[in-house]
Amino acid sequence: MKQFIRYLPLLLLALGWELAARLELVSTTALPPLSEVVVAWIDMIKTGELVTNGLASLYRAGAGLGLSIVIGGVLGIAMAWSKPVNVLVAPLVEMFYPLPKSALIPVTVIWLGFGDGSKILLIFLGCMLPVTIGAFNGARSSEQVLVWSARSMGAHKLRMLWDVVVPSAMPELLNGIRTALALSFILLVSSELIVAQMGFGYLIGYLGANGNYDAMYAVVLTVAFLGFAADRIYLLITKRTLAWRE
Amino acid sequence: MKAPLDRSRRLGRVHATMSVPAQIVVDQVSHLYRPPRGREVLALDQVSLDVANREFVALLGPSGCGKSTLLYLIGGFLPVETGAILVDGKPVAAPGPDRGIVFQHFALFPWKTVRGNILYGLERQGMPKDEREQRALDFIELVGLNGFEDSYPSQLSGGMKQRTAIARTLAFDPKILLMDEPFGALDAQTRGLMQAELLRIWQRTPKTVIFVTHDVQEAVYLADRVAVMSARPGRIKTIVDTKFDKNDPAIFKAKAFVEKVDEIWNLVKDEAIKAQGKRT
Amino acid sequence: MPPDGWPEKAARFTYIVVTRFFSIAVLLAAWEILARSGTFTPFQLPALSNVLLRIWQDAVTGDLAINTALTLYRALVSFAICAVGGVAIGMAMSRNRLAHWFFDPIISVGFPMPKIAFLPVIILWLGVYDVSKISIIVIDAIFPVIAATVIAIQGIERELLWSARNMGAREREMLWQIVLPAALPQIMTGLQVALPLTLIVAVVAEMLMGGYGLGGAMMTASRFANSTGVFAGIVEIAVIGYCLVKAMALLRRRLLIWHQEANEPTTA
Repeated sequence: MKQFIRYLPLLLLALGWELAARLELVSTTALPPLSEVVVAWIDMIKTGELVTNGLASLYRAGAGLGLSIVIGGVLGIAMAWSKPVNVLVAPLVEMFYPLPKSALIPVTVIWLGFGDGSKILLIFLGCMLPVTIGAFNGARSSEQVLVWSARSMGAHKLRMLWDVVVPSAMPELLNGIRTALALSFILLVSSELIVAQMGFGYLIGYLGANGNYDAMYAVVLTVAFLGFAADRIYLLITKRTLAWRE
Repeated sequence: MKAPLDRSRRLGRVHATMSVPAQIVVDQVSHLYRPPRGREVLALDQVSLDVANREFVALLGPSGCGKSTLLYLIGGFLPVETGAILVDGKPVAAPGPDRGIVFQHFALFPWKTVRGNILYGLERQGMPKDEREQRALDFIELVGLNGFEDSYPSQLSGGMKQRTAIARTLAFDPKILLMDEPFGALDAQTRGLMQAELLRIWQRTPKTVIFVTHDVQEAVYLADRVAVMSARPGRIKTIVDTKFDKNDPAIFKAKAFVEKVDEIWNLVKDEAIKAQGKRT
Repeated sequence: MPPDGWPEKAARFTYIVVTRFFSIAVLLAAWEILARSGTFTPFQLPALSNVLLRIWQDAVTGDLAINTALTLYRALVSFAICAVGGVAIGMAMSRNRLAHWFFDPIISVGFPMPKIAFLPVIILWLGVYDVSKISIIVIDAIFPVIAATVIAIQGIERELLWSARNMGAREREMLWQIVLPAALPQIMTGLQVALPLTLIVAVVAEMLMGGYGLGGAMMTASRFANSTGVFAGIVEIAVIGYCLVKAMALLRRRLLIWHQEANEPTTA
C-alpha cells in the first residue's frame, strides 16, 4: 500500500497520457494513447523486431562498458600506485575528462564504420574516464594505511595491492562504474540515433521517419525502462558487494 | 499533609528559591521520542524542575537519559506535549531570543565569518548597524577572539569555534543560557580552559544557565545545583547543592569538592551501568 | 617578500609545468608524426597541423564564432534553466509534502533513464528549432540538480536551523539566509554534474537536427567525408568543454570560500 501511494504519481501520469490522447486534447500523431503504444510493443515483441535490435544494442553497451571497466579500473589503480604512471596519465585524464563524449561519434564512425565496432569504441572511450577517476580516488585514499601496513607486515608489494588497495578502492570504483553505466546508455542511444543500421536508437529513428509513432513510443519507453532497470540491478549488486563495509 | 511536601521536594523547591518565584518552571513534563523507524521511546517521564533567576543548574546523566531533550523543550525547539514549561510565568511555545542556546557541535553558520555569525542575531533583533558592529566587537573581545573577526569557522580550532558560538549567543543578550554539552567535543585541555572562561564570563554577565553534561567534575565545578538524571525513561533522580567558591584556584583539590564529586559519581554510576545494559 | 626559497619555488614551478604538459605534448607530437608518416590515410587521421589550419580558416570566415556561440547559447540557457528550475523543484520538494509525493518517484525513476531517447519525441512535438534542443538538454541535465538540492537540504543539521530561529529568523528569512547557503556546497556539486551533460546533449541534438552549431558542423563535415572538419570540431568542442568545467570549478571556489575544502591544500 505504501509503495502504491509512493508510485501513484507515475500511474497518474500514465493515466493523464491516456486521457489526453483519447480525448484528443493533443494530436494523436504527436501522442498516441498509451494503450496503443502497449499494443505496438507486444506486436514488436512477437515479430522479434524489438528483441533483435535490443540484443544488438545491449551487446554494444555491454562490450564497451566491460572494456572500460577493466582498462579504466586498472589504469586508475596504476595511477594511484605508481608515481611515473600518474605523471604520464593524469594530465591526459584531466584534458579529456571534460570533453563532451558525444563529439566522438563521427570520429568513431570514420575509424570503424557504421557497425558494432564504432559503437563499442565510443562507449569504451566515453565510459573509461569516470571508472579511472573512481578507481584512482579510491585507491589513493588507502595509500596511508597501505604504506604503514606494508612496512609493519613486510608483505609482498603486489600482494598488498590485491589485499589492501583494490578493496579500499572498491566503493569509489563502484560509484564510478555507476556513472559509466548511465553514460553508456546515453552514448549508445545517441550514436544509434545518428548513425546505425541496427539497435534501439536506429529503430526509434526508423519508426519515427515512417510515421509509425505508437511503435516509436514503445521503443523509447523500453530503452528508458532498461536504463532504469540496469541502474537498480547494479545498485542491488553493489549493496551485496559492499556488505563488509557495515 | 504529606503529599504537598513530597511534591515540593520533587520540584526542588526545598531550596532558597522557595520565596522567589522561579524563572523557569518545568512541571510534570513527559516526552515521547518517535524515531522515523522503530519503536517509540519515552525520553522523559514526568520531569519537574524549578530554576531561579541567575542560577546555574547542571543536568547530569548518562547518554540517552533525555537531558538534551529537556533542554530542547525549554528552548522551544521541540513541542511540549505533556506537562508544562513556564518561563517567567509564560508557557513556552516557540524558540525565542530570551533563551539563547549553545550546541555541542557549535552550529555556527559556516558561510559567515566570526563577526558575521555574531552580527546575524543582532541584525534579526533589528539593532542599528553602528550599534551592532560595536557590540559584535565587544563580544569578540570578551571571548578573546581578537584578530579572528574575519576568519571562517572552518579556519578555527574547536575551542575557538565554541568561543564564537558562546559570543554569538551572549551578544543578543538572552536572559537564559541553554548549553547542550558545549565542551563535549573539545579536547581535555581546551575543555578545562573553556570551563574557567565560562565562569569568568558568567560572573561578568550573570544569566540563568542550564548546562547539560555527562562530566561529573564539570557539573560540580560550574553549577550551583546539579540535577542527576536517570536513564530511560529520563527522570530527575536527585538534585544536589554544589555551591563552591569558584574563584579558588585550588578548588579541584579541596576536600569538600572531591567528596561532592565522589558522591554524585556514585549516583550516576548506577545509572550509567543501567543505561549500558538497556542499550544492548 | 624575502627572496629565500626562490630557487626552490622556481624549480618546483618548472617541474609542475614540465610534468603537466609532457604527456600532452607527446600525444600531440605523436598525432602529427603518425599522420604524416603514412601509417594512416589522411581520411582516418588528418595531421594536427591541417586540423589547426582548418580551425584557423573557420575562425577567419567567422563560422567558428557563429557555431561556438550557438552551441554555447543552447548549452548555457539550458544550464540556467536547470539551475533555477532544479533548485526550485528541490526546495519545493523539501518544504512541501505534496510536491515531494509527486516528484519523488519521477526523480528516482527518471534520473537513471537515458532521457536522450526522448529526443525524437521532442522533435515530433516541437520541431527542429532551439526550443526542442533546449528542452531535451533541460530534461537530461535537470535531474542531478534536483537530486543534489533535495539531498543537501535533508542533510542540513537541525542545530543550524534551530540556531537561526533562536536568533529570531522568520520562516521566509530562513530559506534565503540559512537553508540556501547551507545547501550550497552540494547544490554546486549537482551543477558541476549538470554542466558537462548540457554540452554532451547539446552536441547530440545538433548532430541529429543539423544546422548551425558545433555538432551540426561536425555532422556536415562527416557527411562530406571531410575528416579534417570532424577532427577540428572535436578540438573545438574539447576546448569549450575544458573551459566550462574550469570556469565552474573557479566559480565554486569563489562561492564556497568559507567551505572546508577551500582551506585544504589542493593537489589536483
